[in-house]
This record gives sequence, structure tokens and C-alpha cells, in this order.
Amino acid sequence: MDAWLSNPFVHGLVYGVVVVTALMTVTAWSIWFERKFAGRMQSRTGPTLVGPYGLLQPLADALKLLQKEDIVPKDADRVLFNVAPPLTVLFALGAAAVVPWGPEQIAADLDVGVLFILAMGGMVVFPVWIAGWASNNKYALLGGMRSVAQGISYEIPLVMAALVPVVLCGSMSVSDIVRFQLEHGWLIYSAPVVGFLAFLLFFLASLAEANRIPFDIPEAESELVAGVTTEYTGMKFGLFYLAEYLHTLVISAVASALFLGGWGGIGGLAPGLHWMVLKTLLLFGAIFWIRWTLLRFRADQLMTLCWKYLVPGGLALVMAAAAWVHWGAFAGTTATPAPAPAEQGAR
Amino acid sequence: MNAGNALFIVGALLCLVGALSTVIARSPIRAAMGLLITIIGIASLFLKLSAQFLAAIQIIVYAGAVVVLFVFVIMLIGADTSAGPPKSGGSVGSRIVAGGGMAVLSGLGLLLLARFDGQPVRFGPAAVGHGDVEAVGGLLFREAIIPFELATALLIVAVIGAIAVARSKARPRPAPPESHESKRLFHGPLHPRDAQRPLSKEPAE
Repeated sequence: MDAWLSNPFVHGLVYGVVVVTALMTVTAWSIWFERKFAGRMQSRTGPTLVGPYGLLQPLADALKLLQKEDIVPKDADRVLFNVAPPLTVLFALGAAAVVPWGPEQIAADLDVGVLFILAMGGMVVFPVWIAGWASNNKYALLGGMRSVAQGISYEIPLVMAALVPVVLCGSMSVSDIVRFQLEHGWLIYSAPVVGFLAFLLFFLASLAEANRIPFDIPEAESELVAGVTTEYTGMKFGLFYLAEYLHTLVISAVASALFLGGWGGIGGLAPGLHWMVLKTLLLFGAIFWIRWTLLRFRADQLMTLCWKYLVPGGLALVMAAAAWVHWGAFAGTTATPAPAPAEQGAR
Repeated sequence: MNAGNALFIVGALLCLVGALSTVIARSPIRAAMGLLITIIGIASLFLKLSAQFLAAIQIIVYAGAVVVLFVFVIMLIGADTSAGPPKSGGSVGSRIVAGGGMAVLSGLGLLLLARFDGQPVRFGPAAVGHGDVEAVGGLLFREAIIPFELATALLIVAVIGAIAVARSKARPRPAPPESHESKRLFHGPLHPRDAQRPLSKEPAE
């Protein structure tokens, strides 16, 4: 049994099913949570009718979406129009493969895990843009173009922010970065200013990649009807909706693994899976909080923020992190030999 | 067939399908998407060679940046300008020349791979870890540092040159029209008598 489970493909399959199911469930009920949360912030009650406290609202929403008519516009590019929604979910979920939920709970412990996360984040712009183009609708196209512009702009600060933990810990494997933090303290405070600023930068840039408020100009409803999702009906729209929340959840998990010590316990408590879940959900909740507090940026303000402030700031952070490591701020870690490349089995 | 071979077959199929659709697709957008599929296929071939770093970089750089740039260029030029079948389709002769040239080139490539005694050249197995972070980093920053830095300098020069070419020359701005103080106040035709008056009723100092 053990030998069978340690086959990387079987392992990936089993953990993949577990992680995908868990993420999908959390995402569905996070929509309920967000509606309640937003309701309370605005002196409303949120969903109350379906089930106790409206808890069955996600199921009702899914049923409603499934029943709706599936419309493809007459002049749309049918193939691309239908391919785009599942692809958004695919890429949003993809990054979760290398997120370590616990010491052993990781679907695929790639030794280039951070790069894999960045690659998946970079790919997310494609289905959104394909959807915008294939809809043959000017609002959808504008939304898609904005999404691509925003995606490639914010990928640069995102990469730089993710480089900081890589430089500090000397590894590109996410689980190695977490183990380093178990030993030396969370990066957010063990590398005082650099770690905290890098965390902020990573958080901001990933919010922009996930098209969350205040960076959701690709679907700015006051300007673009519904952006790329204008022409989508039923469950295809539901997939876009789901992908946005999934992406947000996954970036919360990545941020807590890279900067908040992953599965490490708070205040010397025993490490474990629950800490990772707790940190992820706290960050996830913070994103809701931001969403219902802030307004949306204008498109030009968005680009100004990225290119004039975040990119130079990211460059400075990477330099600072390199200097930090060079002058040996983490005692005894400057000369650690690189970990031996992990055997990847049949690969 | 083990899992590695399955990965190879999937990657190779992705490459072929993507490359074919890049060439065949009428709509430039679909061609770009075909290119994207090819790039993902190449990345999975890198994975098969256990060069995970190269695979990730392939996706980030080529899919995340280069194809996005293609998409931008297509959108700037206009996706519809080149859509639809070509008007005349070219003469039969030109098609024969193009197809024949392609066949000759592919045959030459095959010949180069297969020695003249008919035995195909077998490449040695890829070294373990030839494409991981340490190997590529060592190559870039130790052995090939000078060519690498020269290439970056060249790219920067090219980027600056492109910006310089693309930006139109700064034209001298037309001088702002002379505005009289009272015209600024009333936006109307100015009586010469009023021009002498102070702007406010308070006595001038």
C-alpha cells in the first residue's frame, strides 16, 4: 500500500482529488460567507432563506446556474468561447498543486514550486482574454484587453516579491521555504522590513492577478457591463465566478506558505495542517474585507501604481534581500549547500 | 508503457497539434492559441527530460510573455484584417514550389539525423539535473557570464532603440494664446476702456 501510494502519479492523483474537492467546497461556502460578511458590513443580513442562516445558498445558486439556458452568441467563436471557462478554473486550481498544506500534505513537491505558481498565475490571463475575444462583444473585448494588460504588468512585481523568499531561503521549493521558516521564524518578521514589504507587494500583486477589488477593472460593471463574462450564461458564468474565488483562495494559501510560516504553529505551538488552513482563511477573509472597504482603481491609476511604484519597489526589495543574505543576517545560512535535486521518480 | 513515456506522448501530441493549428488556423487569434499549446507541449517535454526549471521558465517566458505580446500585436493591427481565406489563393505553381521546398527541407533534416549508413544518430540520455536551477544558474552566471551580460546589454539597447523609434519627435508646442486679465474673467469681447480697469473693485495699492 505504501509503495503504491509513493508512486508520484498515484500520490499526485490522490492528493489532487483531495485538494481539489476541499478547495471547491471551501470556495462554494466562501461565497456564502462573503455575502453574509458584506451584508453585515452594510447593515443588511445577507442570505437567510435557504437553510439555517442561508447556509445552503451555494447549492441553490449552483442549481439555478445549471438550469439556465446555455447561450452562445451567433457570431462568437464557438470553440474558444466554450474552452475558456473550464481553463480559468484549471489554471486557478493548478497552482494549488505545489502548496504544502502540512509537512507531508503536498500534491507535488516540485523543486521549482515557486516558479510553477508564477507560471500558473501568468497563464490565468489567457482564458480570460480568450473569453473576451471569443464573445465578439465590445465590452467583453475591452475587459479581456484590460485583463491582459493588468496581468502582464502585475506579474513583474509578483515575480519580484516571490523572489524575496527564494533569495532569503535559498530554495525554490515551497515546502523548503516553509521548513526554513520553521527554523528561522516567519519571513514576515525574521527579515524585518524586507519580508514585510515583500509580503505586502506579493499580496497586492496577487490581488491584481486575481482581478479582485480594488484591481477588478477587467470586469468593472459600471463601465463594461460585466467585462469578459458579459455574454456568458448559466454554469459557464458560474465557472468564471468560481475561478475568481478559487484563485483568491490559492493566492492566500501561497502567501501564507511563502511569508507566514505555512504549517508552522503560532507562538511555539505544535505545527500542523490546521495552522496552514487557519492562516489561509484569515488572509482570504482579509481579501473580502478589502473588497468591501475599498473602491475600484481607474485603469490608468492601476498602471501607474504598478509601473511607477510597485516595480521599482520590487527591484529594491530583491536587492535588499540579496544584501541581507550576503551579509549573513540569517546566521549560518549563507553557506548552506543547495539541497540535492529531489528524485522525481518516473519523470 | 510507463508514465514517463505517456508524458512524452502527451507532450509530443500537444506540440504537433499546436504547431499544426498555428499554421492552419485562419484566424490569427486561433493561431496564437495554437502557439500557446505548442509551448505547453514543449514544457512537458522538458519535464520528461527532468528539466523542471526549464519547463517552468518556458511557460513563464514564452507563454506568459511572448504569446501575450503576440496577442497585443494582433489586437493592435486588428484581428479581422487578415481573417478569411486569401482572395486568389496563389497559383498552383507557387503551392507546388512551397510544398516541395518544405519536403526537401524535412528530408534534409531527416538525413542529418540519420547517418548515411542508415543508422539513426542516437543521442545520449540527458544528464540528471542538467536543467535544474543550479545547472542553469551556474551556466548563466559562471561559465557564460560575459555572453549573457552582453546579450542583456544588447536587449536593453534594442528596447531603448525601439522606444526612440516608436515615439514621435516632440513637436514644439504652440504658444498659449495671450489672455487678458479681464477676458479671463468674462470670456467676452473686450472693450478697450475696460482693459484699463483693475480686475476687482478694491482700490489698487
